[in-house]
Amino acid sequence: MPPSPSTIARLRRWSTALLAGATLAACGGPASDPEPRPSEPFLTTTGQPIEPLPLDEAVDSERAGIGEALFKEPLMSGDGKVACSDCHSEKHALADERAKSEASGRPYSPVNSPTMYNVRYLFKLAWGARFDSLEAHNDALMTNPNVMASSWEGAARRLAAKAGYEARFRHAFADGLTPMNVRAALLDYERSLVTPNAPFDRYLRGDASAISERAKRGYALFKTYGCASCHQGMAVGGNMVQRVGIMRDYFADRGKVTPPDWGRFNLTHLERDRFVFRVPSLRNVALTAPYFHDGTAATLESAVTAMARYQLGRELEPDDVALLADFLRTLTGEYRGKPP
Amino acid sequence: MRGSLVIRAALGLCLAGFLALAAFILAHAIDEREQGRYARDLRRLQTLDSGLNEAVLKARSGLLPQYDPLVAAFRELHRLRDALRRAPAFLPRGSADRLGVELGAYEKALTRKEDLVETFKTENSVVQTSLLYFPVLATSLIDRAHAAGDRAGFSERVRTLSSALMLFETVGDEDAKARVLRAQEELRSALDAAKALGLDRDTAVAIAHARVIVERKPTVDELVREVLSVPSFAAAARAEETYTALHHAALGRAVAQKQLLFALALGVIVLGLTEVILFMRRSALALGRAKDELSLAHEALAVEHEKERLRGELRNRFITMTSHEFRTPLTGIVSSAELLASFGERWDAEHRLDHVERIRKAAGTMERMLEDVLTIGRAEAGVLRPSPSPIRLDEFCRALVETLEHSTNRSHALRYTFLGDPDVTMDERLLQHVLGNLLGNAVKYSAPGTEIRFAVRTTAEECLFSVHDQGLGIPAEEIPTLFTSFSRASNAQHLPGTGLGLAVVKRALDVQKGTITVESELGRGTTFHVSIPRRLATLETTLTPPA
Repeated sequence: MPPSPSTIARLRRWSTALLAGATLAACGGPASDPEPRPSEPFLTTTGQPIEPLPLDEAVDSERAGIGEALFKEPLMSGDGKVACSDCHSEKHALADERAKSEASGRPYSPVNSPTMYNVRYLFKLAWGARFDSLEAHNDALMTNPNVMASSWEGAARRLAAKAGYEARFRHAFADGLTPMNVRAALLDYERSLVTPNAPFDRYLRGDASAISERAKRGYALFKTYGCASCHQGMAVGGNMVQRVGIMRDYFADRGKVTPPDWGRFNLTHLERDRFVFRVPSLRNVALTAPYFHDGTAATLESAVTAMARYQLGRELEPDDVALLADFLRTLTGEYRGKPP
Repeated sequence: MRGSLVIRAALGLCLAGFLALAAFILAHAIDEREQGRYARDLRRLQTLDSGLNEAVLKARSGLLPQYDPLVAAFRELHRLRDALRRAPAFLPRGSADRLGVELGAYEKALTRKEDLVETFKTENSVVQTSLLYFPVLATSLIDRAHAAGDRAGFSERVRTLSSALMLFETVGDEDAKARVLRAQEELRSALDAAKALGLDRDTAVAIAHARVIVERKPTVDELVREVLSVPSFAAAARAEETYTALHHAALGRAVAQKQLLFALALGVIVLGLTEVILFMRRSALALGRAKDELSLAHEALAVEHEKERLRGELRNRFITMTSHEFRTPLTGIVSSAELLASFGERWDAEHRLDHVERIRKAAGTMERMLEDVLTIGRAEAGVLRPSPSPIRLDEFCRALVETLEHSTNRSHALRYTFLGDPDVTMDERLLQHVLGNLLGNAVKYSAPGTEIRFAVRTTAEECLFSVHDQGLGIPAEEIPTLFTSFSRASNAQHLPGTGLGLAVVKRALDVQKGTITVESELGRGTTFHVSIPRRLATLETTLTPPA
């Protein structure tokens, strides 16, 4: 007799199930894709204390664009009065020309606001190296009652009420305007703030004519005097912490020591961390006066002189200072192809 | 059927087990990509750790001019640490905890190492600055001292301190340290001479840097030792070892699961095939049964057809018989009645009586025929029932014989014998049908003057009758249909008859539980033997139901 249709249907069901099972049992897993290339932390290109900045940092320009708007947006603050750009001014290389920043309805900032440029290359954030990541630093600044006195949630709410943001976020993020996307956009902008192709970087890459002879001599002094022992690496600083006043007591000379002067001590409460600060990056340093955490050095020359005095224990000749300053001026890079 | 249920249950279990296990294996399959990544990350922890140690040593010796590699290495280690916190899903239960313990130990070591390296970076920078700057300053001091006309051996002391520092930096033992301190003291005591040369401030700076080297180099060296002694590499290696063991366990489990899966698949196949075979066999059996039923139904239908055909034949014969056998006496009655009406006035009494007698005889014949037809009809309708009553059988039979002799004008020699007890309980009317017909046939089918023997005998149980004639006899092949209605023997067609007689006999006997047999020889004669139970109780319950 020929098998009935129901028998055939049954056979087909079984065979399907068995085939599926057999396939399942047979496959040991998908073929592994090519190994991701591991980063090579121990590879340096120049053999010099300073490395050139990469010329092509990947950034999400659309999100960074939103982040730029947010950076200048007072609605980011709890009272809608303070924008990030109030203390990191575009006119002043995203730093503050005032020794202590002053924002509407806030007390004076305890320290000078440093530049935002190349912030992505810094190993820790804030003068006292309190934060390990840009995320953590931004979170703290947003909620700090003396800074933004805000929250990502509050900022997102206020932004949603303003025309334009909703649509921009919806275009750039699948889930639109959310607190975390506000944070992400701002971070994307901050990470896009890079200033590659400084004359000194071009010099490091082999263009001997990129900097003047005086700058070259300044660089030699920079290394010989030990400046490069701390101001080093890609960001010419920003990769270690150091005590202010190794050879001479900076704070005794300046006087009026306040807790912000304690630096890293405020975080660790270890005596050895008192007056220890993150070594600041010297990228674009010619544009970011005044200098030091307390903003006491108004010019590049005075900053170089003070550094030599307290860190090296030596009064530099004015010519050495000028040479060093000439070198430092070659560290001004390009933001979007133009000087910042 | 029960066996099939067991197989189906087993098949269902196997299939369910197979699917469940397949789903489990799918969910817990060793993701080779994840496996590769995790193992690679664990190995990379160790590679980076060694690299870090090497970089720290290089930085200590001034061979690494910047700390970016250290920063990058820690950043990478943090990334790996975070990635490794999520143990692969395919590992056996409890693996995440075991790995977590090992990785926790590693993370502790890493944090300690990072703290030490940070301090090392800070301290090392200071020492490196001094190590770099002191020779420059010393050379400058010596040059300037020479230029200024050094007579107090100032430059010699600077040189002594410089070489003492170089020795200290290379050897670093207490002896070398003592030499540095001595040279330092000597230079300090020459500060006046330096002042005279205008070099006192830079000399103080040089001494300060020498002090930095002497004081801080041991700290840096100690930090290096501490960095190198942090058991981060060992912890990472242990974590990798643990992971390898867990991975092997997962591999073993996966093999066992696949074997079980294979066994279940085999079970499903075997049970499935068995079920299919059984199903087919059941289908074949069902088909065979259906065929049998169909052929039985066909046979029954054929029988019904035959019956119907016979019934139709009977009806035809009945119609033929009635048209002929009823018409003959009816014609006689009609013609005698017309003759009487036309000529009765003129005929004498004897002539008139003769015709009246003809009419009476013909009417009697018709009445008997009608009685026979009704008896058969009643029998076939199932309403022919005996109503027994006590009779004297001897007298009943004698009256029957006498009536027959009278009606045939003694044309045959009727010999009647009776034996036994004559008191019986029987249905008189039915007995009349049986014996009347048998005796009438004997008369009808035998030549006048021949002998007819009618013997009756009663026993304790039954009454036995036999009727014997010396007539035509019945062809042997026609005996089986002898008791069917309207059938007449082929050799009796020339004689008048309805074919109802023996059918009535048979039916009348049937309802009395009687039997009849026949012996016959063509041309020699026929004998009918009849047996009827002697005491015919009410047989209602044992009667055959209507057909």
